[in-house]
Amino acid sequence: MEKLYIHPLPVRLWHWTNAFGFLLLIATGLQIRYLDLFQLIPFRTAVVVHNWIGFILIANFFVWLGYYLSSDKIKVYHPELSPKKYFQASFRQMQFYGYGIFRGEPNPHHPNAYKKFNALQSMLYQIIMMLLVPIMFFTGLLMWDVGRFSSIVEALGGVRVVDTVHVLLFIVFCGFMIVHVYLASLGHTASAHFKAMITGYEEVEDEPKHDATH
Amino acid sequence: MKRSRAPTSLILAGLLAFVLSLAGLSAHAAEGEMSKESKACLSCHDKDGITKTLESGEALSLAISTKAYTESMHKKTDCEDCHSNLDSKTHGKVKTAIKSKREFALGMRESCRDCHKKKAVEYDDSVHAALIKAGSKKAPLCTDCHNPHTVRSAKIVGPIADTPCAKCHEAIFKAYSKDVHGLERVAKGISAPLCAGCHQAHAVKAASMGEGVKDACLACHKEALNQHKDWLPNTALHFEAISCPVCHAPDAQRRVNLRLYDSTAKRQVAEKTGVPKFEKRTDTADAKDMGLDERALWSLLKEFNQDGGDGKMLLRGRLEVRSGVEAHQLSEKSKAIKDCDTCHKQGAAAFQSVSLTIAGPDGRPLRHGVQNDVLNSLTSMDSVRGFYAIGSTRIKLLDYLLLLVVFGAASVPLAHMTVKRLFKGVRQKLEAERLAAAQDPGKQASTGRRQGTDNASK
Repeated sequence: MEKLYIHPLPVRLWHWTNAFGFLLLIATGLQIRYLDLFQLIPFRTAVVVHNWIGFILIANFFVWLGYYLSSDKIKVYHPELSPKKYFQASFRQMQFYGYGIFRGEPNPHHPNAYKKFNALQSMLYQIIMMLLVPIMFFTGLLMWDVGRFSSIVEALGGVRVVDTVHVLLFIVFCGFMIVHVYLASLGHTASAHFKAMITGYEEVEDEPKHDATH
Repeated sequence: MKRSRAPTSLILAGLLAFVLSLAGLSAHAAEGEMSKESKACLSCHDKDGITKTLESGEALSLAISTKAYTESMHKKTDCEDCHSNLDSKTHGKVKTAIKSKREFALGMRESCRDCHKKKAVEYDDSVHAALIKAGSKKAPLCTDCHNPHTVRSAKIVGPIADTPCAKCHEAIFKAYSKDVHGLERVAKGISAPLCAGCHQAHAVKAASMGEGVKDACLACHKEALNQHKDWLPNTALHFEAISCPVCHAPDAQRRVNLRLYDSTAKRQVAEKTGVPKFEKRTDTADAKDMGLDERALWSLLKEFNQDGGDGKMLLRGRLEVRSGVEAHQLSEKSKAIKDCDTCHKQGAAAFQSVSLTIAGPDGRPLRHGVQNDVLNSLTSMDSVRGFYAIGSTRIKLLDYLLLLVVFGAASVPLAHMTVKRLFKGVRQKLEAERLAAAQDPGKQASTGRRQGTDNASK
């Protein structure tokens, strides 16, 4: 096993702030939306906490964006421009999670500091970070003060439309969080990826020389 | 002690006599300012009980108290300024036919307009004037609220029971007299509003239309917005979508009023006089009279949009109390509803009654019932796009979607772990083969596999 420094400190800080923030947003969001089903905290408190965490995570998003825009590590988000290569890599990855992993085969993706995401992660995180998360924050911001942003809300189709988009993304992120945590447990040990996101060092299998260029 | 009381009483009596004599002098002075003609009129009309029987059989009082007249706001107005149609040669000698009190008041209206031009313009734009144009026999004319021979300054605080509005709006006035404004008015006089304070005296509009009454609340309660901002999230939206009595009349029943709104002209859609469409269309769309469902509402909006209005018609929802009486049951601030649960909970009473409204030709609302599940339907997302209360009007389909996604996402790890467990034997066998191949490089090529992850082999 080789130890590679894959997760820089700003990314780790961003990640864990985001993770706990999302959990709190989900919890308070559920409380706000389903007051008739359970009442762990008062509605108003849930709204205020939800708003504050929302703003913290918006700021946190810019920490992430600022770091990657000012670092050559942004390469981790560079898309694979060859569709053939991309689909082959994606297929290999799907084959691994859907079949190879059951047979004890190795993960076909060999991460390094500039290519830490496999083909599926690469596509998914681009969509999440550059599309879904900004839309989530934007719709949340609009609903934080609908009066202040009334012209934008109206242009987007009204508060009901904005809320529906926000809730749809909430549903997506609820699903994502569950699958994300499970996939994170599929390292060479169940806790390997979690430890890596704390220490920054990922334990990767020794690679044949020709793979090191990835 | 006894000795000192007598001079005090004398002084007080003297002062009282002086004040009364001044008042008498003032009345006499005003009477003195009257023209000879007016004095002549009052010489006959200042008699109790004189009446004229009208064609309708009603008795029109002809009595005018000189004292009350000289104390009134019209004390400098001569009789003939208003009654210019009377001819001194024939008046009292030749009988003139008057159909009814109403007809007489309608005719005299023009006399008021000669001087009170600004008020007349305001009145012409009011719901009262619109009702008269529509043929109402009850809507108030000038003299129904103001007796021209006794009218006093509006600044004088009289008993609230003297308020002319109470004559027609009896139930509302009764509620008002017991609410926080009515009680305060009695206790402190002018500081609390009477009817005209919120509804205007002449430019009276239907209270449930527009934002006039809310503006009136905020005109006195200037700090209300800022005070609400201290505790109420999304204050501006709450102020826009909820009428003040919804929270400040805690015992009132509430309803959602979906107002048909012209988004370009930025005003509520009004029925054109002589072209009644609303009732006809709503009755057609809701043949069973069960309330409009989401499909009927959508079709109705489409029809109004096809009328070629200025812009897109949409529905702007507003939470309000169900009746004028309930709007006048305002409580003390400490009793106002501050509990978010009242509205932000599915099944909240406030969202059980929904109506569609447009402004009628006379400015009063025309309503038709709407099924309350419209507020929770995905298909009515466009129709009721401007109204949403978190929790209580949430779209049910999204709840099912959330359940589906959460259970679906949770089943992925469960299914994956189950299959991994089922493959444990296969994995161990392959692992053994790989180890054997690693020990015997000759077999490595045939295996073609590298060592698997430690975790995967578990």
